[in-house]
Amino acid sequence: MRKLRGWIVRFGSLFGKGRKDRELQEELESHIQMHTEDNLRSGMTAQEARRQAMIKFGGIESTKEAYCEQRGLPLLDSLVQDLRYAWRNLLGSPGFALASILSLALGIGANTAIFSIVNAVMLRSLPVKDPHRLVQFTIDGDGTFTNPLWEEIRDRQNACGETVAYSSTEFDLAEEGERKPARGMWVSGDFFNVLGVQPALGRLFARDDDVHGGGKQGPVAVISHDFWQTHFSGEPGVIGKVLRLDRQSFEIVGVTPQAFRGLDSDHGYEVAIPIGCEPLFHPDRSSLGNRSTWWLNILGRLPDGVTAHQGSERLKVVAAGIMQETLPGDWDAAGKQSYLKQRLQVVPAAAGFSGVRSQYGAALLTVMTVVGFVLLIACANIANLLLARAAARRREFSIRMAIGAGRARLIRQLLTESLLLGLLGVPAGLVLAKWGSRFLVRLLSTAGDPLQIDLSLDGMVLLFTAGLTVGTCLLFGLAPAFRAVRVAAHEALSLASRGTVAGANRFNLGKALVAGQIALCLVLMVAAGLFSATLRNVLREPLGFDQHKVLAIEIDTRQLVPADQRIALFETLLQKVRQLPGVASAATILFKPFSGSAQNGFAFPDGEDERDTRDSRTWLNRVSPGYFKTMRATILAGREFEEGDKRGAEKVVIIDEKTARDYFGTQDPIGQCLRGDFGPNTKGRFLIIGVVKDMKYAEIREPKRRTAFLPMAQNGDPSPRVTILARLAAPPASVIPAIRAATTEARHGLSVSFGELETQISESFRQEKAVALLSSFFGGLALFLAVVGLYGVTSYTSAQRRNEIGIRMALGAQRNAVIWLVLRDVVVIISLGAALGLAIALGLARLIASLVYGLSPHDGRSFLFAALVLSIAGVLAGIFPAWRASRLDPSEALRCE
Amino acid sequence: MNSKPDVWQGTLALMVLKTLERTGSLHGYGIARQIEQTSADLLKVNYGTLYPALLKLEQEGYIASHWGVSDNNRKAKYYELTRAGRKQVEKEAQEWERMTEIVARFLSPKEGLA
Repeated sequence: MRKLRGWIVRFGSLFGKGRKDRELQEELESHIQMHTEDNLRSGMTAQEARRQAMIKFGGIESTKEAYCEQRGLPLLDSLVQDLRYAWRNLLGSPGFALASILSLALGIGANTAIFSIVNAVMLRSLPVKDPHRLVQFTIDGDGTFTNPLWEEIRDRQNACGETVAYSSTEFDLAEEGERKPARGMWVSGDFFNVLGVQPALGRLFARDDDVHGGGKQGPVAVISHDFWQTHFSGEPGVIGKVLRLDRQSFEIVGVTPQAFRGLDSDHGYEVAIPIGCEPLFHPDRSSLGNRSTWWLNILGRLPDGVTAHQGSERLKVVAAGIMQETLPGDWDAAGKQSYLKQRLQVVPAAAGFSGVRSQYGAALLTVMTVVGFVLLIACANIANLLLARAAARRREFSIRMAIGAGRARLIRQLLTESLLLGLLGVPAGLVLAKWGSRFLVRLLSTAGDPLQIDLSLDGMVLLFTAGLTVGTCLLFGLAPAFRAVRVAAHEALSLASRGTVAGANRFNLGKALVAGQIALCLVLMVAAGLFSATLRNVLREPLGFDQHKVLAIEIDTRQLVPADQRIALFETLLQKVRQLPGVASAATILFKPFSGSAQNGFAFPDGEDERDTRDSRTWLNRVSPGYFKTMRATILAGREFEEGDKRGAEKVVIIDEKTARDYFGTQDPIGQCLRGDFGPNTKGRFLIIGVVKDMKYAEIREPKRRTAFLPMAQNGDPSPRVTILARLAAPPASVIPAIRAATTEARHGLSVSFGELETQISESFRQEKAVALLSSFFGGLALFLAVVGLYGVTSYTSAQRRNEIGIRMALGAQRNAVIWLVLRDVVVIISLGAALGLAIALGLARLIASLVYGLSPHDGRSFLFAALVLSIAGVLAGIFPAWRASRLDPSEALRCE
Repeated sequence: MNSKPDVWQGTLALMVLKTLERTGSLHGYGIARQIEQTSADLLKVNYGTLYPALLKLEQEGYIASHWGVSDNNRKAKYYELTRAGRKQVEKEAQEWERMTEIVARFLSPKEGLA
């Protein structure tokens, strides 16, 4: 205890040293004085009295030293001393310090920004009980299950311990009109229990809440802490209140704690309801009994000591039974066969679910590598500057070594200087990281659905930043420090630290560093080129329609409108919209382009054998008359749907170019028939009345898919949802209120939401945009840093070679020869660096294949372009120092010897 | 030069504490003189070693210091025992006695082995 106290006091004494030194001085002085006075009293002469007192005392200086050692912590003391010295040193060259700190801040900031996103979506564990024992069930690698499968897995004792099911969804809080979305979760009864989530208020679900059609307390809901705060201003009276979701009533029974945001790391949930309540929303088409609707994620908690691999092995035993019990009866024989063969597995799921992870995982890791390279390039610059400084300080070091400073001590002091640079860069880096990560999240967010990634600096991120800082400091500090000290004491002194011919060789390490910079820079520029070309390709990719000035009006009838009245209602709505001022034309469509919803089935030319081996998978969409005109799609042959193509009339179809080519080759398909199977109500023979140019269905990068368009009016089983696409001749804001009024007038209680098609489609390129933007920015930054590095090292070496150049010029060397003398080194550095960079880029290109579109990741033009730009920039960076060297006045250069 | 034994490292602390226990508040020079007088000038205190020892005791909280004025009006730093210091004197004194007792047994082995 006492010892500890001693250490603390000693630590404290690192501060206020000057005052304490004075006190000691006074104390010792008073001691000697008193002793002298005593001696005087005993009869000595004044001089002798003082002399004896001093002798008796012993060495004053050695006492002071012993005292100081006891007072503070010698090791820490010398560290503080080093830091002070380093600080003074940095102040001595503020330009160098500022440049280094800024580039470090940028490097550390960019790395931390990206890492904090990677950490949030890939690494951080969910705030639930034992997240490391959580596993996700997969079926043939896919994570979604049907409800019958879930119930079968839940009710069987299996190797994966307790299981829960979950699905994220969106509920509409509005009673009518425009949608007010709330992020929802369907959860199984045990969900909160198994995850170990305790209520912040009220109660969470129990097993008997999760019963088909609602549990003992009827339909119940649990809300998140955020939702409670924003929608109920945190009142405790919220329990028992009724929440209306999609026009249905739910009683709020509990609130989850603030830390629990659901299982999705991109978005916090707002409302959770039991899976069993699903039929309330879709009484006529509930998913609970459906064996072909895949919508639930299943999580399990492994028992202690069981690995995910062992869990999967044990699942094999029960898998066959589970599959047999849930076999969809309406599938054909081949389908049933492949259903039974599916494999159940579990994979670790401690970090929860993340759309960002699955969608942008590769992009994030690529950008992380890019910023890592940028940091390395920045490090190389600082290392080079330190090298140059070390060379300039050779004299200082050799003197210090000559008077007895140890090598280790000198190295420690030089590393302290590097560390100080790093430490000064960190605060600015963290600020940059905060902005950067927010900016990145905005880049990846869509207007209607902003990402809510928790970017708080947790231990993991801070550890990363600290490790990164220390690592980089060692990286750029170690080599120069050893280099500086390796200069033997006698050598440096005798050389008088003059630049002679030897100077050119000494700087080889610096040249190697610059060559490395050039290599990394080239890799980044190739990446920037590839990603920019990808974005260009994506933007140029023909959609097959004109997305500009098209307003998408999504309409959901909820449970208000029986199936047989829907078609009529949609037609009425469409008529009303068409008549509004500002609407040029309008049409309805079942699956809005790029909405993510899609349906496929099978279609083949009439007359061909149904068991034909050829792939007959065809995508389906339903549209109203006027759709192709509204979208400005090109009808290649035949006609568009007309009002006459309605129920009872002949069943017709419009096919796209790809279907026409695949099925009919050079024949004219118009007037021929297609046999299709798109579900029980949409089967049979369809007369082909038109061929339309290929249109993108769900995403820009999709390969051409065969698509068949059927008339909206001939739908035997109309969906409760539809989208009206209206081509506007006026700004959307001026048309939307009228549309809102028109829908309410047509039917009370309809749910409506608006969006511009162009925005929605351009948002689907956000990965390409973000990657192209970031890689170009960092590629440019890397180029700048590398050019600065090259410039620095060339200026330095040519300054070192002043004498040599002076002699050469005095002996008659021409200016051009001098320029070439300096430039030759630059060319060698660039060539070596570029060759190395090309090799690295070729090796890495394979890894980014999934992010590149419309060109090969080994695209020669991108490689060549990057190498060309880099070479030109590099030579330009070398020309100025070379020119300056050639303007040297030989007599002056030689005189400064 | 007469050869007086130097004070052992560890025992100096005990002597300082014991001296302060007897005299109350005292400055460094006074402590050194007191130790010499108590030992009847048999011990030679290197005054220089005294100050680090005082500092260590102060860091460990056994003694406290303050600036005061000496008998002949000179500014001096005075030391005195703290409560922990009083306890420590007793503890160290007991330990010392036990130690000397053990050493004594070695020095007069017949008694010790009996």
